[in-house]
Parts: sequence; structure tokens; C-alpha cells
Amino acid sequence: MEFKLEAHRIVSISLGKIYNSRVQRGGIKLHKNLLVSLVLRSARQVYLSDPCPGLYLAGPTGTPAVPPPQQPGEPVAGPPSGWGEPPPPAGRAAWPEPEPQPQRPMVCHTPGAGSSEPVTSVAGAGDALRGGETDSAAAAWSRVERPRAAASGSGSDTCPEGPRAVRRSCGCPPAREEQPVGDGSPAPPAPCPRKRGAAGVGGGRAGCPAPGSTPLKKPRRNSEEQPSTTDEDTDEEMETGNVANLISIFGSSFSGLLRKSPAGGREEEEAEESGPEAAEPGQICCDKPVLRDMSPWSTAIVAF
Amino acid sequence: DIISTVEFNHTGELLATGDKGGRVVIFQREPESKNAPHSQGEYDVYSTFQSHEPEFDYLKSLEIEEKINKIKWLPQQNAAHSLLSTNDKTIKLWKITERDKRPEGYNLKDEEGKLKDLSTVTSLQPMDLMVEVSPRRIFANGHTYHINSISVNSDCETYMSADDLRINLWHLAITDRSFNIVDIKPANMEDLTEVITASEFHPHHCNLFVYSSSKGSLRLCDMRAAALCDKHSKLFEEPEDPSNRSFFSEIISSVSDVKFSHSGRYMLTRDYLTVKVWDLNMEARPIETYQVHDYLRSKLCSLYESDCIFDKFECAWNGSDSVIMTGAYNNFFRMFDRNTKRDVTLEASRESSKPRAVLKPRRVCVGGKRRRDDISVDSLDFTKKILHTAWHPAENIIAIAATNNLYIFQDKVNSDMH
Repeated sequence: MEFKLEAHRIVSISLGKIYNSRVQRGGIKLHKNLLVSLVLRSARQVYLSDPCPGLYLAGPTGTPAVPPPQQPGEPVAGPPSGWGEPPPPAGRAAWPEPEPQPQRPMVCHTPGAGSSEPVTSVAGAGDALRGGETDSAAAAWSRVERPRAAASGSGSDTCPEGPRAVRRSCGCPPAREEQPVGDGSPAPPAPCPRKRGAAGVGGGRAGCPAPGSTPLKKPRRNSEEQPSTTDEDTDEEMETGNVANLISIFGSSFSGLLRKSPAGGREEEEAEESGPEAAEPGQICCDKPVLRDMSPWSTAIVAF
Repeated sequence: DIISTVEFNHTGELLATGDKGGRVVIFQREPESKNAPHSQGEYDVYSTFQSHEPEFDYLKSLEIEEKINKIKWLPQQNAAHSLLSTNDKTIKLWKITERDKRPEGYNLKDEEGKLKDLSTVTSLQPMDLMVEVSPRRIFANGHTYHINSISVNSDCETYMSADDLRINLWHLAITDRSFNIVDIKPANMEDLTEVITASEFHPHHCNLFVYSSSKGSLRLCDMRAAALCDKHSKLFEEPEDPSNRSFFSEIISSVSDVKFSHSGRYMLTRDYLTVKVWDLNMEARPIETYQVHDYLRSKLCSLYESDCIFDKFECAWNGSDSVIMTGAYNNFFRMFDRNTKRDVTLEASRESSKPRAVLKPRRVCVGGKRRRDDISVDSLDFTKKILHTAWHPAENIIAIAATNNLYIFQDKVNSDMH
């Protein structure tokens, strides 16, 4: 158990380092970032191989709408300002890519994440993950919702209906004042929009959910994973302030971690779900079931 | 400003330092004089100049730091001195000349109005010594990644520069092209597992060079074997000790500096906790390993948090290759005598370094009996690190860079190498 905590701590420190390296003078130092990513990989291996079952870390119910310079450790508590994201602003946990880069098709789930700040991906970062994010995003999405549901009412911006909010269209959340710009899109459940569509430019907006098979899968996944909600509720809240930001910024690291992620699914149900999603395009070449069905935090770990 | 590199020239007469602000300061050793016996052999400032300025890469929206990463002297071939200085991207060749005479006299007629003999119109008159520094070559645009080392070849015509993934060979007179001799960039950057951390030419064999990696290995390459030396001639690697495995094993095994011995027979490497001596004839493991500060092994996690674990310490041989030196924290530096196997820890600080004071050996206690002047591991100041040290090529004189102070210590008792 201690190893897992230690590993978790190391992972959060490492992600913070990689993040801060972006703003360092002189550009990103390849050597240091490579070493940090190696540490991340080691920590991840420990984290994933630790048989301790209850420690399923979910993101706090805050929002990741803090600007990057802030402490990555701060649990984000406030609602993301003006984020009429259909997906409840379930913390940073959501699989990244609320990237305000219009030219990139994105899965955007994290309403607040990165949206209010000018988060720009490291050049090329995220490309490799883009496709795969859809899957993981969906999973992450569902994961994210559960803590929210459990903690509903904790944030004023939380969609009171919890998971169901996902199915609202963009701009539906009652607490929202602002609606995503391009919100004329139909209102299918929008957990995994493939493209930002019209709402894209604003960055991070779940905007127009893309039509596709993914939304249909969402409810199924939700229901399947509801039972395990209780597990996550009891999770400890590690401060993972800007994890989603970090992930979105870095995408896949250059240490080949993505390729080498361990084949460790968590629960059986996750394995079941790997089937239908296998068809989704653009998957990253790693253990898809593992990636897809992990908590966002774990996803972050895996990604690195 | 914070000193980022220190280097003696080949005779030891000059000592160059580079700092984070892109400046180079050169010190010159005063000739010993009988008039002032106590000031013999001390180093005074000889010249100061701005070598590099901050630049901006508009294409990548990156600022290029002006910090001088390395300075290497060229062997002196005439009255002028030359050195190479480099920042992350650009290498410059500087020529340092002295001017102690000035032409005077331009009047064609003397005071009485008579035409002078033309050959006596102008004459050279002594003037105060002026040291002039001018950039002779600028080797730019050779590197995509950050340059970490440069090394002048023993042929005195070429030199190499290494960044994280590539090593280029330059001719000192040609600035518009260079040859790539090592390229370890993988086709897919996601597959990257190691980077080049340091490199050096062999002191005598102009075809051999070594480069170290972040994985702790050394590769000796022979330029006669192929144009692209991706395949090493020899690989020096020590198998990892499984009992020491931790999250940070990989970081602490990364080699931060590699130096050939003056003899050319051995190599010295520095990783985070140790210095190792390698014999060129034995690839399986180093022949000697010295613990610099093993008491930090249990503190790796907090050192990782504070970024100290990424500090790149340098190492140095003395002129006879019998003693090796490297820096540590708390302004301590360590020397290891390879013959007697004795080691000493000394401190570079103002308090303990009054002129002509004798340095007192220091000790870090790790629990157990604590002597009076011992320092405990927890009270070490990790912001005071000695990353850069240099040893005079012939005498027992060392230059220690402690953040923004330069200390020069001389061993007057044992002035001759043995």
C-alpha cells in the first residue's frame, strides 16, 4: 500500500516537473524530461502492480480550471468559470484533450480543464493519443462521473443529475450560464465527441458531440460500472490538480511508455468492454482495455 | 553570476570561466617574482568579454539561453590564444591577443619644418597592456537539441560538439558545414530511451572519441571504421546492482561527465553518487569506483523533488592521473588518491578560505559517532553545489566554482606532481 502511495506521489511530482519544464527558459530539456518519464514509468509499474485493490484513485470533484502556473497540487474546487460543458466539470480526471487547438479533432471531456487557460500542447504531443483518447476518454468520462454523482451537490456547477448529465447536450447543464459557442448541435449524449466542431475554437468545450458509436456506448458503460461506484467513493483524494492539463499537454511521452504499458486490466468488466471499443479507430498501440477503463488518474499514469 | 564552466588552458597559465549570463572571464597566472614572493603564481583577471547573448528561435518560439555550457582551449600555435565557447546552440571561436605597443607619429615634418625620413615617421611605442578578444568563427545551426559538450581533437584541426542525440564534427576553419558522426535519434521519438550526456576526443588518437549516455554506458567510437559512428567500437557498461534498485536508479546511473586521463589509457565518469575509473581495455566494468556521497542514497526521493538529483557534476584528473576530483553539495569537493586509496572532503567557502589558510578536511556524519566538526547529512546545504572543477595540467592547483564564486587552491607543499 505504501508503495502505491509513494508511487502516486512520485507520479504527481513528475508530472509537475514535466509541466513546469514547458515554461522553462531555454526550451524543454530533453535529458531531464526523459529521466522524469522513466521515473514515471517505474512509478506506474509499481502503482499498477500493487495488488492493493481499494486504492482506485479518482479525481477530486473540483475542476481543473486553474491556470497552469498554479500549483498542480491544488485540488481544484471551484467551478470552472463559465464552462457550460455538458459533461459535468468532473475534475481533471477526464481524459485530456480539451485542447484549444481547433485543428485537432479532440475528445473533450474536461470542461474546465485547460479551457480557461491558454493551454497549448507541446508540439506533437497528444497526437499519438488523439485517437486512443476517444476510448479512454469515454471510460475516463464514466469514471469521472461517478465521483461526481457521489459528491453531487458539492459543487454548484455540478449537474445534479450526475451521470445523466452526460447525456445532455452541450449547454444543457442547468447551472451553466454560458453555453458553448457552437451549441446548435443536437443533444446526444456527448461524452466522447470526436471533434470539437463549431464549438471547438473556444477550447475545451465539449461542444458538439460528434455522431458516432461512442455516445451510444456511453450509457451501457455507465450502467455497467455503476456497481463499482462505491469503490471509488471511498478512494482517497490525491491532489492531482492539473493532471488533465498535464496529460493533455504531453500526450504520449517520448520514452515509449505507451507501447510498453503493462497488460494489467483491473476488473473483469473492463475486459468485457474491450470488445466493442476495439473497433474504434485511432487507438494507441497499447493495452487498450487497460487504458480505456482506468480511472482518469490511472490513465494519466499509464500514459506516461 | 553563476559560473557554469571552468577550464585551464594547456599550459595552465590561463584559466577561463563561463557564466550563466554568457560572459567569459579569463584569469592569468602571475609570473613568480622574487619581489613579492607571496603573490607568486596567483591568478588575476586577464580579460572579460561577452561571448553569447540570449537569442530567440522564432520558428519554435523558444528562447535560447546565453549560458556558457562549455569552454575548451585550443592548443596555442602562435602568440594568440584561442578558445571555443558554446551555449545550447552556437559554438564560437574566440581569439585572444595582447597589444602592448602602439604606433605613434604621423607628422611628416619635424618641429623645425623639415621633412622627416619616411622610415622614421611612425614608430611603435609601448603602451599599457591591452587584451583584445575577437570572435573569429561562429559555428551555428548545427544542433537541434541542446549542446552539452565540445572537445578539440588532438589533430588541432577539428573538434566535435555533442547535443542530446547527435554529435557533429567540425573543422575549425569551416563554419558553414559540419559532419554528423553520431546520431542516436530514433525514428519515432516515442522510442527514445537514452540521450548523449557528454563526449570527448581521445587525447592522443585523433580517430577515437567517447560519449556517455543517460543510461550509464560509455561508447568508444573509431572514426576510421565508418563515417557514421553509430556502432561503437567498445561499449563500457556496468551491470546494475539489483539490490540498489529504486524509482531513481535510472537517474542516478546517468553519466554527467566523462574525461580521458592524460595518459589516454583510462576514462573517468561521474554519475550522481559515484566516480568511476574505466580502463579502455576492459569493457565489462570500471576498474575503480569511488563513493562521493553515498549517504544521499536514502534521500533520493526528496532530492528528486528538489531537482537536485538532476545536478550534473563534473570530474577531473590531476596532471599525473593519480588523483581524481569531483564536487558535491554544501560547497564540498572530494579528492580520491588512486594509489593510496585515501580520500578527502574539502570545503570551498569564504570562512575557511582566507588567503594562505590551509583547508581543513571535512566529514559528513551519517549517524553513529559524531565528531565535533562533522556535518550531519540533514544540515547539508543542497543549494550550494560544486558542479564545475578544474585541475591545472601540471601542478597541484585547482579551480573550484561554487555558484558565483571561483576558488583557486594551490598545494604549495607538494607543488610537484607525484
